[in-house]
Amino acid sequence: MATHLEITESLKVFQDNYNSNERLKIMNRDWNRVVVIKATDIESLNTFIVQDGLVSIKEGALENPDLTVISDSETLADMFYGDITPTEPYNNGTLRIIGQEDDIIRLDFISLMIWGE
Amino acid sequence: MNSLQLKKVLTLRTVVATSAGLTLATSTFVAAVQVAGYVLGDTAWIAILTGGILCFLAAACFSELNGLLPTANGIRLYFSRAFNDQVSLTVSILYMTIVIVGVVGAESYVLTRVLGEVFPAVPPYMWVVLLLLLVTLMNIRGLKIAGVFQDVITYGLLASLMVISLLALHKVSFQLNAPFAPGGASGLINAVALGVFLFVGFEWVTPLAEEVTKVKQISKGMMIALGLLSVTYAVFTVAMTVAVPKDVLVASAAPHMVFARAILGGPGAAWMVAISLAASVTTFNAGMLSVSRFMYASAREHVLPAVFSRVSMRFFTPWVSIVALFFVSLTVAGVILLTHRYLVLLKLAAAMESIVYVLAGLAVINLRRRMPDSPRPYKIKGGLVIPVLTVVVFAPLALAVLYTDLWALIDLAAAFLVCLIYVNTAVPYLKKKYEARKPAGRRRPSRTTGESGMEEN
Repeated sequence: MATHLEITESLKVFQDNYNSNERLKIMNRDWNRVVVIKATDIESLNTFIVQDGLVSIKEGALENPDLTVISDSETLADMFYGDITPTEPYNNGTLRIIGQEDDIIRLDFISLMIWGE
Repeated sequence: MNSLQLKKVLTLRTVVATSAGLTLATSTFVAAVQVAGYVLGDTAWIAILTGGILCFLAAACFSELNGLLPTANGIRLYFSRAFNDQVSLTVSILYMTIVIVGVVGAESYVLTRVLGEVFPAVPPYMWVVLLLLLVTLMNIRGLKIAGVFQDVITYGLLASLMVISLLALHKVSFQLNAPFAPGGASGLINAVALGVFLFVGFEWVTPLAEEVTKVKQISKGMMIALGLLSVTYAVFTVAMTVAVPKDVLVASAAPHMVFARAILGGPGAAWMVAISLAASVTTFNAGMLSVSRFMYASAREHVLPAVFSRVSMRFFTPWVSIVALFFVSLTVAGVILLTHRYLVLLKLAAAMESIVYVLAGLAVINLRRRMPDSPRPYKIKGGLVIPVLTVVVFAPLALAVLYTDLWALIDLAAAFLVCLIYVNTAVPYLKKKYEARKPAGRRRPSRTTGESGMEEN
């Protein structure tokens, strides 16, 4: 079981990698989204905000997110560190993403651009 | 949880429209006439309503599965949890292949016949190329037929079919002749089995589980869609068979055009062309959207070659999968236009759909055992009666379809064999290739416990 701190750290690593990728920033400049990250096995809520192409992270959940990513703490930490692709836990049901299909694909694609296959 | 309420959610009206819209296709009119051909007089409504009622059984199973595992992955996840990954993968690939071959093949054939009547100078294949190009471009650009637009198309189609049917019934001063005498049992069974084709795709609405606030809306939407479709198809088929002799309809690849022309002449034919185009474009689009997303997800889990996971940098859509589907669809449509074997595809799709319903019933039974304590927002009442009934009803229906068409049986068996071989040889190879490429070390730092300094994992 990962801790809330580990999940937050993994999100920061993801944020740093994203914000240093110029291509991603240009591609997402019109994709303004609020994504809540929720762990199922520990108390952990974070919000991942994409605004004008830049990503920022906030602890806790903002209201009315566009997407909600729900999984166990280990999966969330591994996924944002890029040790596993989101597709594996998504396909086996460990990871749930609530939101529009196009947004889910874009989120997966951002992960692909940052971490590769 | 209020704080996690989504910004954008789908309404029940749109869920119903999506479920019914995925099902409404031009080729369903041909299937409806084939259903009528199996029974006596104007009793096709019995077979169609029976098919619709039976589909409620499958809808109940999908509702429970969708509530238990709300995912855009649908059967891929349900069957993986209920049986194993190999079964799930084999069935999913087979299902997607048959859907794309069946839907594109049959739909394009019927549509070319419809358009060929109005524009005889244009070569039929040209229509297929144009329509597929349109749908491919829509998919690459990420333009979706969704929301209000989907509502307008679906409800407009249903209303049009009802209006034209009532006009026809009024025109011939319709009275039911021996409405409860469909003839022999074998004819009725075959009619019901093919009648299932009329509802193919109603359950494709389950991927929307992630876009609604209450998963139960999906179940309710599927049930309402099935009800609306059953009544519309039953009335439309009866209207067709009373307005035009059955043998004339059965002999035509575009029976709804014959019917519309007989009732309203040229304007009727124009109206039906508009209905056919709307139905076909939404069907092609839904097919391409679902199958390309399936290909993308499969490539991301290293089940298909990685090239299929390439996404357009501009539109964020899986363009390689979409373009590949465009060429596959062109080939399938070309072969069907040359061979005229579109009816085999209808039967193939009906049989495959029945098999998937059987597996859905079995999945409900297995998951009640494997995941007994998991929350089920929708649980079928009456214990295992409905899942068992789903299996018991749809297994013979699948067999009935395959028994009456040897080519459908051969095609299905061959496709199943190819999928099985692919899953057992190519998939392990692709996964091994990915493992070899994967970075050796983990990026996530190893955790150490504060005092002892021992690694925890």
